[in-house]
Amino acid sequence: MKRAFQGLRKSRLVAASAGLVLGLAAATACHAANEIVIGASLPLSGPLAGFGKYQQWGYQTAVDDANKAGGVTIDGKQYTFRLIVRDDKTDPNVAASNTETLISRDKALVMLGSCTPALVNAGALVAERKKVPLVTGCDPLGAFRSVRKWHYVWDIFFDEAELSEAVFKMMDDLGVKTDKTLALLHDNGPDGKVVGGQIWPALAKKYGYKIVQKTEFPVDNMQFTTAVSELKSKNPQVVLVDAITPQAVSIRKQMAAVGFVPKVLDMEKGAEPEQFAKAAGKLSDGVLVGAYWDPSFKYPGASQLSKRFEKETGLSVSQHIADSHAAANVMIDAIIAAKSLDRAQINKAIAKTDKVYVVGPVKFDQTNTSKLPIAMSQWQDGKPVIVWPRDLATGTYIQPK
Amino acid sequence: MENVDIVINSLVSGVLLGGVLALAALGLSIVLGVMGLVNLAHGELLIAGGYLMVFVMQPLGLSSLLALPLVAVLMAALAWPLQRYMLQPLADKPPESAMMTTFGLSIVLQNVYIMLFHADTRSIQFGNGVSSIQIGPVGFGRIYLIGFVLSIVVILAVHFLISRTAFGRDLRASASDPVAAAVNGVDVRRVHGWTFALGAACAGVGGVLIGSIFAFTPISGATYLLNAFAIVVLGGLGNIFGTLVGGLLLGVLQSLGGLMLGDGYRDLVGLVLLLLMLALRPQGLLGRKGG
Amino acid sequence: MQTQIKPAAHADAAACRTIAYSVVLLAVVGFPIVVPGALSSYGFEVGFRLLLLMTLAEAWNLLAGYGGLVSLGTASFFGAGGYMLMGLMNFAGLPVLPALLASAVAGAALAALVSPAVFRLKGLYFTVGTLALAEAIRLFMINTSYFGGATGWFAVVDPPSVQVLYLWAWVLFVFATIVLSLYVSSRLSIALKAVRDDEAAADQVGVRVFRVKLLAFMTASALMAMAGGLQAVKLGAIEPYGMFGISWSVDVLSVVIIGGIGLRAGPLVGTVFIVALSEWLADYPDVHLAITGLILIVVIRCAPQGLTGLAISLWRRRNGRRTQTGRADAAGAQSALERG
Repeated sequence: MKRAFQGLRKSRLVAASAGLVLGLAAATACHAANEIVIGASLPLSGPLAGFGKYQQWGYQTAVDDANKAGGVTIDGKQYTFRLIVRDDKTDPNVAASNTETLISRDKALVMLGSCTPALVNAGALVAERKKVPLVTGCDPLGAFRSVRKWHYVWDIFFDEAELSEAVFKMMDDLGVKTDKTLALLHDNGPDGKVVGGQIWPALAKKYGYKIVQKTEFPVDNMQFTTAVSELKSKNPQVVLVDAITPQAVSIRKQMAAVGFVPKVLDMEKGAEPEQFAKAAGKLSDGVLVGAYWDPSFKYPGASQLSKRFEKETGLSVSQHIADSHAAANVMIDAIIAAKSLDRAQINKAIAKTDKVYVVGPVKFDQTNTSKLPIAMSQWQDGKPVIVWPRDLATGTYIQPK
Repeated sequence: MENVDIVINSLVSGVLLGGVLALAALGLSIVLGVMGLVNLAHGELLIAGGYLMVFVMQPLGLSSLLALPLVAVLMAALAWPLQRYMLQPLADKPPESAMMTTFGLSIVLQNVYIMLFHADTRSIQFGNGVSSIQIGPVGFGRIYLIGFVLSIVVILAVHFLISRTAFGRDLRASASDPVAAAVNGVDVRRVHGWTFALGAACAGVGGVLIGSIFAFTPISGATYLLNAFAIVVLGGLGNIFGTLVGGLLLGVLQSLGGLMLGDGYRDLVGLVLLLLMLALRPQGLLGRKGG
Repeated sequence: MQTQIKPAAHADAAACRTIAYSVVLLAVVGFPIVVPGALSSYGFEVGFRLLLLMTLAEAWNLLAGYGGLVSLGTASFFGAGGYMLMGLMNFAGLPVLPALLASAVAGAALAALVSPAVFRLKGLYFTVGTLALAEAIRLFMINTSYFGGATGWFAVVDPPSVQVLYLWAWVLFVFATIVLSLYVSSRLSIALKAVRDDEAAADQVGVRVFRVKLLAFMTASALMAMAGGLQAVKLGAIEPYGMFGISWSVDVLSVVIIGGIGLRAGPLVGTVFIVALSEWLADYPDVHLAITGLILIVVIRCAPQGLTGLAISLWRRRNGRRTQTGRADAAGAQSALERG
């Protein structure tokens, strides 16, 4: 017994020390001296993988274009930009540790954000603590503002209050006739609770809609039998949903399974990516989802970016390429404007941003947010079509079948 | 309180869904009952069936009903070597080893799915889409009924296999007393191999049905694993009818839970039930003590 | 507390050696704190993760290795500790140290609470039961707005620097090492092993089975809860998916089995190996996880005492020890997996 212990303790000591040395060796990553590293933690797997893919393309394209244009010259030295992306697997723990890794090990000078409040918050809190500038999209402004007063983190996205109201405005503007009965289904994540729990009910009241059903569920729930039975029974003509893609697909299928079809079906968040249309098939026709960008919008480079995306990836375009492309460009422009590798200077330059990017005009207010205008998009034949407002519409509104 | 329509609909859906969940749990039950193996990779086997359907059957243009037996055969073929080369060699080790090995397997499979199929949400269009059936106040999807009927058919078939065929006799012998069975000329190793393959085949078919009703991602397996456990424990290990009863019961109880507390509590109902059963009556409602 | 099983002289010598090696080990790990510039900021972060995982692994090894209680419910206690700490720091304004101690109490209390139910489950059912428990708690936390629901809580106080966090993780690890060492060299560990090997027989001999298991369970859970508390301090924001996520249970199990379950050095070797592997494959997270799973499978099959066991047998073979004593030692050092 004692001899075994001897061997054990020795090996333990050797192993621990060796491992620590190994870890340290691995930790000192070498990188080129004339590179500016831009870090990003993105959901490339897990339930939000649909978004992460587009963001990665947007960030990478912006960085590649900036390098093609000659990078940046600071104090007489030429620098190229390098984007390093890490997969946070839709897990906030991983998003936080990725951000730390990117800053400390990969020597990222600045950061770009992930997607959805939980993930963005995790990374942004780390960046804020370390005073590393971070520009993000894909994070509704209300949820962003509610976390804390940000100094180093900047958000370019829509305001969920505006987005929530869009469907009501659309119904009024386009004259979609319903009996004004309404059902709300939302997840209990940070934005689901705000949009579904507070904003939509208040708006329903404002526009004179009667809420006949209000259901809340956790983000990883897949069974909606009770909620859907209730829908069938109460038969509201307007149904508003806020859930992530796997759930949105499940809900849509289960609604069809019981033979319930509302006149207006708005599925925020989950119905955005192309995955939704692919997974739901014909059932996606007529599903509305708030949009903040479409290739047809008259912003510089909008349609070219879309064509380029489709050509390079063979996938259908998503609005997230514009948001991420713009966020990366805002960061790059700030570095160029600051003419400095000092993070505080770059941060000041971000604050002074005032330019029209592919996603629209970007100018930050004192809450570090820049608001994007809202439109309503609808899936028709597997393609997103803007149906409202009229001056931006690329198609006409159809009813779900 | 909700009106009667909703309650009836919920309960009917619960029963139909319960049948499908029972099929999904069948593989786990058989393997646990015959081999004493807690297969923690069972959820990933379910998902494998879903992926086979999306990436192999549908591109081949096979109609969904035809595709199911093919999925079953493919799953069995893929699972058999797993048992033979990964689990069989652990036969003389304590049962935790095999269980932890299946755990390692589930980790490997999840990440292989991510690498091969990416993390996109998938759903299966079974037959000609999702149409619904309406009988009086009760409405449910055709897929629920199809799933329920298919599940009953498969469960009955497996029951027939186990209770009336020679293989089934060997299987039952190996389950109750492997040593005596071996002495009597049963090739227990072969039986175990086929049992695992059968379990995987059932899981694959169950996975296709689940993937048609809901949606799935590479990591969806874990949720269904615990549901399956609840059913297996409810019905009693290795007890085929017990699995069916357990599934139906779970389906109904989940519906009740959903009605009273909201859909988010459905899974919680299943888990609490599992814990209670494990603690109070681990042999299941239909099982015998020590059986 | 005289042990009747080991001769007194050997016990003293063994204890002395334990202390000596522990001190050296802890010094190696602790020197970055004292020597400024010894470690980069990133090194401290890897170190924090390493130390936290080591603490968790030691605790799990106590339960599963020495106690035969293979638990997949680590996340329950980890999360309980995290929430207790965050709750006290946010709503009662407590500083970190008392909050951490309160986490330990929370973990132990939760363990005591579920033990009557959970200990009725034998063998594999215990494992499944702990998995179900962890999931149930996670779902409960997600659905209950009292604990912040799915959004969770944000820390009111900013987290301290990574060097300070590393120091705290080191202190926690020291504490865990001391607790484990005390346990292993006391009569309690013998009682626990007796229960692990044959509960009925142990009961016959007069071992208070439930009490022995409960003590181990509560100790391990308290340590896990403290680790959870520290993680909460570091993150600055907690929510159920991260705190009660199954990855904590999975990682800890993989680490200990790969390192060598039931062996004193197992958790440490396993943690160092896994963290080094994850750093090496940091750019390929799917591959890293798939490989971890594969290694787990291979280790269970070919090296049931894990890497530590492999190292011992290689060392032994190198020194040509094929004596009777050598074989008895090997038998003595066998893990729960071998003995079953």
